[in-house]
Amino acid sequence: MSDRPDYLGPNYRLGAPRAPPPSRGEVWRAFARRLLWPPQPRLWAALFATAVASLGAYGLWFQATLGSRLPSRIDWRAAAALVSRDARPGDVVAIAPAWAERAREALPDALPVRPDLPLPILAFPDLASEDLTGVRRVWLLSLDGAPGAAPEVARALAARSAAVDGPQRLGALRATRFDLRAPLNPLYVFSDTLPSASVRVDDAACTPEARGGWRCPAPRPMRVAREIREVDFLPRTCIKLTPPNPGRLILDFPEVPVGRALRGHTGTAGGAGLGNAAPVRIRVKVGDEDVGEAEEPPGPAGWHLFQLDTSRLAGRRLPVSFEISSSSPGPLPLCLDAVMLP
Amino acid sequence: MRDLRPIVRFRALLPRSRERRVALAWAAGVLVVAAATAPSVGISRDESVYFAAAEAYPRFWGEVVRAPSHALALADAYYSVNREHPPFAKLVYGVTHAVLSKGLGLASHAQGFRFGAFLFAALLAYLLATWGGSLAGLWGGVLAPAFFFFVPRNFYHSHPAVLDLPETTLWLATAYAFWRSAGAGGDQARNGRWALATGLLFGLSIATKHNGWFLLPLLAACWLLAAVPAALREGPRALGARFPSALLAMAALGPLVLLASWPWLWHDTWPRFAAYVSFHVHHENYPWSYFGRLLREPPFPVAYPFVVTALTVPLAVLASMAGGLAQSLSRIVRAVRGRGGEISLPTEVLLFANAVFPLALIAWPTVPHFGGVKHWMPAMPFLALLGARAIASAAQVLGPGRSGAVAGVLAALALVPAAWQTAHVHPFGTAAWNELAGGAAGAASLGMQRQFWGDNMIAILEDLNEHAASGARVWFQEATWLAVKEYQRDGRLRPDLAWATGPEDADISVWHYHREFLDKEFRTWTEFGNARPVAGAYLDETPLVQIYARPGAWR
Repeated sequence: MSDRPDYLGPNYRLGAPRAPPPSRGEVWRAFARRLLWPPQPRLWAALFATAVASLGAYGLWFQATLGSRLPSRIDWRAAAALVSRDARPGDVVAIAPAWAERAREALPDALPVRPDLPLPILAFPDLASEDLTGVRRVWLLSLDGAPGAAPEVARALAARSAAVDGPQRLGALRATRFDLRAPLNPLYVFSDTLPSASVRVDDAACTPEARGGWRCPAPRPMRVAREIREVDFLPRTCIKLTPPNPGRLILDFPEVPVGRALRGHTGTAGGAGLGNAAPVRIRVKVGDEDVGEAEEPPGPAGWHLFQLDTSRLAGRRLPVSFEISSSSPGPLPLCLDAVMLP
Repeated sequence: MRDLRPIVRFRALLPRSRERRVALAWAAGVLVVAAATAPSVGISRDESVYFAAAEAYPRFWGEVVRAPSHALALADAYYSVNREHPPFAKLVYGVTHAVLSKGLGLASHAQGFRFGAFLFAALLAYLLATWGGSLAGLWGGVLAPAFFFFVPRNFYHSHPAVLDLPETTLWLATAYAFWRSAGAGGDQARNGRWALATGLLFGLSIATKHNGWFLLPLLAACWLLAAVPAALREGPRALGARFPSALLAMAALGPLVLLASWPWLWHDTWPRFAAYVSFHVHHENYPWSYFGRLLREPPFPVAYPFVVTALTVPLAVLASMAGGLAQSLSRIVRAVRGRGGEISLPTEVLLFANAVFPLALIAWPTVPHFGGVKHWMPAMPFLALLGARAIASAAQVLGPGRSGAVAGVLAALALVPAAWQTAHVHPFGTAAWNELAGGAAGAASLGMQRQFWGDNMIAILEDLNEHAASGARVWFQEATWLAVKEYQRDGRLRPDLAWATGPEDADISVWHYHREFLDKEFRTWTEFGNARPVAGAYLDETPLVQIYARPGAWR
């Protein structure tokens, strides 16, 4: 059959070349367009009814299965029994997700084998960047089936562990033990030895309190104490102090075994950070030598790391002093945590 | 033979129309259920202050009856309590408390105040059923209240004697009266009566909470938008001819009702009114958790009210509401294009605008963002109406001849999971999150606000009563001193437990999980020397309230 126009036909224009066959996407788009436009009441009603019915069915499933995805009191008791039996000094419990803080109520707060030693429970959303000072093993209790549960904490712990034991299933809980590859065991923890330090504001000595803290006199009264305070929404055990202005707050620690570095963190306690205020400066001396300066910077709250090299003084026992000052006018409670690394 | 006369007499009291009977049944049901479930709902921070105000205001009116000449002198004494909010709802709570608790001794003090809130909730149910019936027949009347009250946070708000549900009720009532005042086919006198009612209801609305002020410009805009097509056809004079008398009534009667009901404004009227306006215009911003961020200062995220609505309304109900909103918009488009002869453009514009405006208002980035969904709750009845109508219309289209059965199945699929969710989270309504969020647990993972207002402490009162040492000093944190006193007055908390101001002077600390107050919990750990709670209240394993105690303070 010829493609030429019929000379008896209505016109003599050459026929347009044949259109290529439509792609699969074009076919679907055309189908969807025909289906949805112009709006056909029955179709829209069916789509609407399908959406309502399927979301309703999902809602029923969600409610029906929610209980079994969360741990029961029996599950928590099983976890408590496991930790009580197997935990030893240097162990901590981590929970994931971090909101599952019923663990604090359900688990023992001290090691049954050594009741004088606490068994800390870490409710941290991220453990990858935590120092985990003094921790050798971490027991992770995870609610893997809970809505919003995510494996980040388990992954972070696995990445820094030499051995992993578990997971062991305890109902809706999973217990996994992580033996850390390189535990951070400091030579000296400054916040633990605050009562043996001496504290002064410039030349005015502060007086020790029965509870282990220090009370500094007027005209710049303040308390310096070892506390657990909120820094960027997480609990931090630290020396809580208020930098004076004008003047310097000086903490002198005698007879500190010196290692390769002095490592620590600063953060504003229980607040939104320094914002636009001036930074807080912390000058550190080991013996007579100025080893450097740390700074709590302006801006949002955070747990700011500093590390000062003390390797040339390593192996000796020397006094360490922290001189804290700020030109900011307002009282800004600061959390200072420092340890001497071996 | 049994005497059937009482039943016959009772039946005679019932309204004749089926829609009215449905509305009445809903109102009675809501009243009974709210009253039955209220004792497990705790006293929130705001509510404790409103209790104090509600006790003071009726005393003033009692004094006025006894000695009218002293009324002006006494106004300040009684109305200085909680003068940052107008008095109408609090006065209602005061009256129900005076009658039921003090007068008849039928209810506890808290339940007496809250009976006023139950009445507002019942009125809301009645209005929803009535308007729903007018819009979509029997199923509209049956479903509209269900779509409102089977949302956990809305159900929660039908209990406390606070201002948000009364404001929502009066907003709806004003809009309904406005709609009736323009009723086609109604006689002029009846329309005039509805216009008068619109003015009075608007007055009560602004005498309840400041949100009410937005009704006047909103209803004016609704009228204008609906009148524009006619004005384009017939010329601008048509606008003047059709100007609704209800708007005039609102402008004239609203401020008068506010002034008459609020003796605080009887002295120094203008400076005090200016102070009231200034308080709300420059309202403090409370920190609020939103996807792991703590919102402290503006600009706040515009999407906030829409996202929080999407994460708190049960999904199938949300889908119904969204479908209803889309249906309303398409009807507006058709009416404007002159293709929907049966569509009432003013009605559609009124419903659509009221369903969207309260959300859009809070979306404004400088408006304070806190308080869960309560600040845009006036949108919820309209979304419920639209959702109910969407279900009824879909059923009619999909199953002509058996639309009732289709509507019933769809309604069951939408409402059964919602009712389950509502029952599951009760009484922790401020902590309710839907399936999309993953419930309370999923919302905690997302970093959303876990709760607010301090009322969930009620769940640990029994533990405190049973285990606290005699005369223990308790740091109640988010629960106010007034709330503690109210629990003690009603015999729900031991009277020997004393008020502590911080962890330093406390034997027991009641920690309410608030991300912005975490330092309070950690200070408690420091002071008490341990981080182990002795008891707690949890919703889907997320801690709401936990109790810490010093050694020896917990037996």
